[in-house]
Amino acid sequence: MSLVTVQLGQCGNQIGREVFNAICSDVHGTHGLCSKKENESYHDACKERFFIEAESGVPVARAVLVDMEPKVISQTLSIAAKSGYWKYDDHSHFCQKQGSGNNWANGYTVHGPRHKEAIMNLVQKEAEKCDRLGGFFTIMSMAGGTGSGLGAFVTQCLRDAFPSSFILNHVIWPYGTGEVIVQNYNSVLTLSHLYQSSDALLVHENDVIHKICAQLMHMKQISFKDVNQVIAHQLGSVFQPTYTAEDGLHYSRNPLGDLMETLVPHPEFKMLGLRNIPQMPENSLAYSTFSWPGLIKHLRQMLIANAKMEEGIDWQVQPPRPGSSVPSSHSTNKLLHFNTSIANLVILRGKDTHSTDLGSFRDPSLYTSWLNPQDAFSAWKTPRAFNKYEKSASLVSNSQFLLKPLDNVVRKAWNMFASKAYVHQYTKYGIEEEDFLDSFTALEQVISSYTTL
Amino acid sequence: MCPARFTRTTSPRPPRAPHDPSAPGGLLRGCGGRCGGSRGRDGAMVRKGPGSAEGWVGAMPGGRALPGAVGALCRAMPPPARLVPETLRRAKLDRPQATLDFWRLLYALLKQIHGGKWSEADVLDTQIRFVKSALWYQGYGRPELHRLPSDGSAGSRELLLAFSWLLHRISLLEQLLARNRVRTGDETSVCMCEDDLSQSEQGTTEIAPEYGPEDRVDVRYLQWLNGRLRFQWRSLHAQHQEQCKLLHQIHLLTSGSHVDQILGHFSVTEMDLIRQPENYKQLVQLLELETMQLEAFLEWKQLEPVYWQWMETVLDNMAEEGNMCKPQDAHIEKSSLPKVTSCCPWADSLTGQINKLSRDLMALRDQLHELVTHRKSAWEEKPAERRRLISLQRQFPAGPCEPVLPRVRGLGKEATSEVLELGDEAKSLGAHVKDGREGSPRALVVPSNEAVKCQIKNRMGDKCDKNASKGGIVIFICVFMRSGCRGM
Repeated sequence: MSLVTVQLGQCGNQIGREVFNAICSDVHGTHGLCSKKENESYHDACKERFFIEAESGVPVARAVLVDMEPKVISQTLSIAAKSGYWKYDDHSHFCQKQGSGNNWANGYTVHGPRHKEAIMNLVQKEAEKCDRLGGFFTIMSMAGGTGSGLGAFVTQCLRDAFPSSFILNHVIWPYGTGEVIVQNYNSVLTLSHLYQSSDALLVHENDVIHKICAQLMHMKQISFKDVNQVIAHQLGSVFQPTYTAEDGLHYSRNPLGDLMETLVPHPEFKMLGLRNIPQMPENSLAYSTFSWPGLIKHLRQMLIANAKMEEGIDWQVQPPRPGSSVPSSHSTNKLLHFNTSIANLVILRGKDTHSTDLGSFRDPSLYTSWLNPQDAFSAWKTPRAFNKYEKSASLVSNSQFLLKPLDNVVRKAWNMFASKAYVHQYTKYGIEEEDFLDSFTALEQVISSYTTL
Repeated sequence: MCPARFTRTTSPRPPRAPHDPSAPGGLLRGCGGRCGGSRGRDGAMVRKGPGSAEGWVGAMPGGRALPGAVGALCRAMPPPARLVPETLRRAKLDRPQATLDFWRLLYALLKQIHGGKWSEADVLDTQIRFVKSALWYQGYGRPELHRLPSDGSAGSRELLLAFSWLLHRISLLEQLLARNRVRTGDETSVCMCEDDLSQSEQGTTEIAPEYGPEDRVDVRYLQWLNGRLRFQWRSLHAQHQEQCKLLHQIHLLTSGSHVDQILGHFSVTEMDLIRQPENYKQLVQLLELETMQLEAFLEWKQLEPVYWQWMETVLDNMAEEGNMCKPQDAHIEKSSLPKVTSCCPWADSLTGQINKLSRDLMALRDQLHELVTHRKSAWEEKPAERRRLISLQRQFPAGPCEPVLPRVRGLGKEATSEVLELGDEAKSLGAHVKDGREGSPRALVVPSNEAVKCQIKNRMGDKCDKNASKGGIVIFICVFMRSGCRGM
């Protein structure tokens, strides 16, 4: 059961490389903390999921690299090959000779259709190499120019070509104070288009990861590489093999399907947030011990209080008392602080996962009224530790995590649009004002759905 | 519903022995000389009382062949269903000891046919109910069987009849053999049978959603469930694709290795055997079992007519007994579908649909009937209506109808009366008078009879000439399409 990764644009390619790196180093590490048999089946499941066995013995990542410029791709390919543990397929990439300007509309309406056939050919080849196609995992940034536009178009093509496959889009939310002036326009357009073709959108916010690097990892000079590595660690903790059933005998062979089924069956609610604890610098790992109750308590409070990391959690926020009838104004206040969830997925990796108590996550007051915790909450476990963390817990949540950022982006974009600033850059390439309005409407609908939970 | 008439045999039939006093030639459903004889090889009538033990050989027509046929039949039965010749013999004589065996046999066979899980643990009562429902589903409506007691104490002959009916009607043996084949593993199909659904009903762990106090469900929850279903379907689809892909790989990689040149490649079972050679013993056992069954089946096919001859004797016996001791309640029960239990959910839905259909048809029929009567009455009203109008006009010449006719000025009174006369005459000849306003001429409808037409024309002509100086009379002839009437 294999995932095909589609790395789009500079951001996508760099992150993708780090993800494969993290997965590979996890698999080859000696800190599994479990039996040899367990380790082997973990190894096999992971290999089947992400790599193909090549004649040379070095596993080849199941990935397609797409970018307009050749620089990033060639960098990516060479760094991967240098590691010795894995590499990319030499033919599985697409790039143009020269860049094409930082313009979303250009990417979507011009470059997309022009290169559609070449890109889809590569994807088709990768898909055919899988015995069982488990779905597509695309990585891209939301607010970039050509990369984002092209990415939105490619996702659409994927949906057209593989109507019954699972498509998970990993999007990078830009810095609030980003350098690109039109980043909000790009974000709005990307999100609205992705919402139509993809099954789920897994979001990482640059600001948040940056803070994690600064405060938790104690890094002074934070480079993109550091940010990408944290992101890769978090993604790895979700997509490495797990047992999805309580008494599972083998690792789940349908990670995307299981994820989608538990988190995003409702077509209006597709935004997923990701939290992972603990997160600390590697050299401190040896001196720290963790306990499951503590980790779970922190994770739960992070969920409720919409905290981005395990420091600075607001412990005052509590779920509303069941049955208490609050007047509407009061409840809106509550809503701003308390994070209502639709569905949650907790993934536990490491020692003694079988004895953990996740009852606190099954509290009905955490969830929206029309869904009961049996349907809304799932837990995946594995005794095999991940990436040298003796115990680690991840939370993938379909909740109001992203309501505020989304609201901000749409508001800012709307303000710009009201004065028609920079719109000519888009209309030049065929994105008319109606398209903008459609996108705004779609996102307003999403915002309102999430607000009225 | 009587069981189907068994296939005719071609072997010569000995005439019926005169031993049986109540068996004239036409006793059995007007079969004339076709009745099977219960004559032995030596010609002696062997129908004895229930107490005696009979042997097979020499007691039935086709003597030696019958044990062979019965034995083959028993051997051709798939393993969970056990049948011994003794049971058949007992059943013919309606011995109660055979009843339980037969119930169990039918239960095992029918369960297999319907693809269900066969479990020894099922209570006898449940088994009996299942058998009755399944037989009804297959179309066996003989009331005597459905009236059999649920404790398995009597009725082995009825069960024997049912068993033979099944054997013939649904090609029981062929079906069972097809179902129990040793699989090669190469089969890929998407099964749409409802039968499989009934099995999965037991395995659901889904707890029913708890409805709120108003007993309503949030539509978002339904959307959620729908989405989950779709994702699960997609996963299934992917799994299916994977299976096909792997199968193809096996075939591809082993092509050219098979003993059979045409096939050319290994099947999944064969591949499995290569990987785990110690399983060969089990496979050989299964294959041997199947071969044995197939051989028994072939033997059975050869000797089948003998069995049916024997069954005819069973029928004969049954009919005799039926006539000799008339059933207490002679009135036929209204054939209502028996209560289906949870063992046959598919039959439940089917009967529900049938009931609904019949109700709809009845409702439609009533509606149609209503419409027809309505139409009819409306149609019949029309001429009645007109006749009424005419009579009204007669009484009141200045009737308020027919504004269409042109006026004629100065139409004298005598002309008017003459036209009236004409109208009466024409009416007597079969025409229909359409009255007009005061002063306006009357319209005449003239029947198609030529003679009458001329007559009236002449008459009219005279009158016209007469009154021409007065401005003429315009007689307006209207055409009414009545059966046979034509306008001039």
